[in-house]
Amino acid sequence: MSYIRFENIVKSFGSNTVLKDINLEVEKGQLVTLLGPSGCGKSTLLRCLSGLETVTSGKVYLDDRDITDVNPKDRDIGMVFQQYSLFPNMDVAQNVAFGLKMKKVPNAEIDKRVKEMVDIVGLSDHLHHYPSELSGGQQQRAALARAMVTNPKVLLLDEPLSAIDALLRHSLQVEIRRIQQELNMTAIFVTHDQDEAMVMSDVIHLMYNGKIEQSAAPTEMYTEPVSKFAATFIGHYNMVPVDAFKKMTGVDGEGTDVAFRPEVIDISTKPVEREGCVTIKGHVGVSLPHGNVLRYAVMCGDHQIDVDVLFKKATIIPNGTDVYLTLKQDDCIFL
Amino acid sequence: MKKKSAGSVAIMLLVMIYLLIPLVISIIYSVFHKWTGVIPEGFTLHNYVDLFTDSNFLASVGRSIAMSIIPIIVTIVIVLLALFVTAIYFPKLEKYVQIICMIPYTIQGVILSVSILSLYVGSSSILSNRLVMLMGAYCIVILPYIYQGIRNGMRAVNMPTLIEAAEMLGASKIYAFFRVVVPNILSAIIVSSLLAVGIIFGDYVLIRNLAGTSAPNMQIFLYQTMKSDSTKASAVFVVIMFVTFVITAIVLFMKSREAKGKTHRK
Repeated sequence: MSYIRFENIVKSFGSNTVLKDINLEVEKGQLVTLLGPSGCGKSTLLRCLSGLETVTSGKVYLDDRDITDVNPKDRDIGMVFQQYSLFPNMDVAQNVAFGLKMKKVPNAEIDKRVKEMVDIVGLSDHLHHYPSELSGGQQQRAALARAMVTNPKVLLLDEPLSAIDALLRHSLQVEIRRIQQELNMTAIFVTHDQDEAMVMSDVIHLMYNGKIEQSAAPTEMYTEPVSKFAATFIGHYNMVPVDAFKKMTGVDGEGTDVAFRPEVIDISTKPVEREGCVTIKGHVGVSLPHGNVLRYAVMCGDHQIDVDVLFKKATIIPNGTDVYLTLKQDDCIFL
Repeated sequence: MKKKSAGSVAIMLLVMIYLLIPLVISIIYSVFHKWTGVIPEGFTLHNYVDLFTDSNFLASVGRSIAMSIIPIIVTIVIVLLALFVTAIYFPKLEKYVQIICMIPYTIQGVILSVSILSLYVGSSSILSNRLVMLMGAYCIVILPYIYQGIRNGMRAVNMPTLIEAAEMLGASKIYAFFRVVVPNILSAIIVSSLLAVGIIFGDYVLIRNLAGTSAPNMQIFLYQTMKSDSTKASAVFVVIMFVTFVITAIVLFMKSREAKGKTHRK
C-alpha cells in the first residue's frame, strides 16, 4: 500500500469542477511534484490533502488512515505556503516553536528541537529576528523549519519558491532537496516551473485541466511525453503537424503532431547523410543566446524549428543562411 | 532639498500654531481673573484648585473615562468575533456585516437617543437603566470606526492565510485568531480605540438626552459651568483636553514600548 493515496478525488467550487476524478499514489520518503499551469488544480489537490479544502467526493489516505474528514490540525501534516505566512509578531524561534507548543512538548525539548531545526536550515544567527527583519529566502527557510520541526508525516510545499529571485531559488531548490533526503521526509511539492520540478523530484505528476496528464520520473517525463500538452509544457519541444513533417522529410506516422527537442537536432550549412536520420532544409531566421546554448530559429517553409547548439562564438551561423537540420527518427515522437 | 524641508517645517509650525491657539487662549483665560483688555489681569489658579477639590467634577471625569472605556471594549470584542466568524466561515456575509456596521455613520445623535428612549424607557429589563442605554448608544456610535479599523488591520495581515498556517501547526481556528491574528492587528485596534475615545469625549447630545443630569460626565459639567462662570469653564475645557492627551499618550507609549521591545530583542 502506498503511503499517500488519493482515490477518485473530485472537487467542485459551485459549478466549476477543479479536480476531476484524481487517482494518485505517493511512496514514503519520496519528493513528488505536482506540476502544471495556473488553474490546473495542483494547489487545490494539495489543500485537499492538508484538509484546508474539503473534497466533493473521493477519499484521501495517509499512512493507511482515511483522513478525508479529519480536521487539518489533527492530520500531522506540515505545510509551507507561497507567501511564507510566518507569524509577524513572533521571532524565528517562536515561529518554529509554535507547532511544538501546540503538541504540548516540554519547554526544554522545544528549545533543543528548535535549535536543531534552525541549524539545519541555516538560520542559527537569526534565531531572534522577526520576519520583517529577514530576507525572502530567510523567511522561506524559517517557514520550512517551522513546518518540519514537528516531524510531520508529510511535508507539503505550495509553490514555496515562486516569490524568490532566480539565483536564490536555485540554491533553495537544492537545499530543500538535501534536507528532505537527509530527514527522509515524504514531501509533495507544487510548482508551475518545469525546471524546478526536474531538479527536485523523484516523481512528477503533470496536471492539466483538473486531471493527471502524465506521471513519471523527471527524465522519462522529459524524453517521453505522452501528449502534446506534456511535450509543450515540459522542456521546449518543436511541434510540427504530421502532414508538414511528411512533406519535409518523407517520414509518416500516427497522430496529429511530431515532437522533437531542439537539442537533438544537428545544424550545418551542408547536407549531412546519416543512417536512421532525416534531413530538413531551411534558413536561419534569428539566433539568440540562452546562457551556454545558442538557439537558432530556423524557418522551414511555414514552420519554425528551434535548434539548440552549445554556444561557441566562432561557429555562429549568420541570419538568412541556408541550413540543413539532421535528426534521428528515434527522437521524433508522434503524438 | 534643504529649502523643501524648511518649507515643510514652516507649514507644520503654522498648522501647529493654528491648532494650539484655542487651547493656549483657553489656558490663559482660565488662569486670570478677567480678560477684557489686550492684556489679561489678575493671575490666579483658584479655578483649578476649585475644580480638583470639587467631588462632582472628579466624579464626572471618572464617569467620562468609564463611559468611554466600557463601550470601546464591548465593541472591539463584538467586532473581532463577528469579523472572525464572517472571514473564516461565512465570507459571503461580510458585505452585509459591513453595511450594518456602517449604518450608524448616518444616524444623528438626537435621532438615536430619542429612538433608544422610546424603545427601552418603559422596559422592565436592565435595558431601561439610563447608563446601560448610554453605553449601548456609544457602542452603536463608535461601531463604524472600530469596524473599519479592525477590518483594515485584518486585511493587511492576510488573516485567512495566517489562520491556515496556524491550523497546519495544530492550532484551532479560534486559538489561531486570538494568539496570532489579534496581536498583529493591535495597532489597528489601538488607533480605532483612540478615535472612539475622541468621539465619546466629544459627545454631549447622547449623554444629555439619555442620562440627563443623573450621571453627568465632563461635557455636562462643562455645559453647566459655562452658565455660571466662563473662566472656570475654560479650566474645565483645559482639563478635558489634558485627560484626552494623557489617555492618548499612555496608549501610544504602550505601543512604542512594544515596538522598542521588538527591536531590542534583535
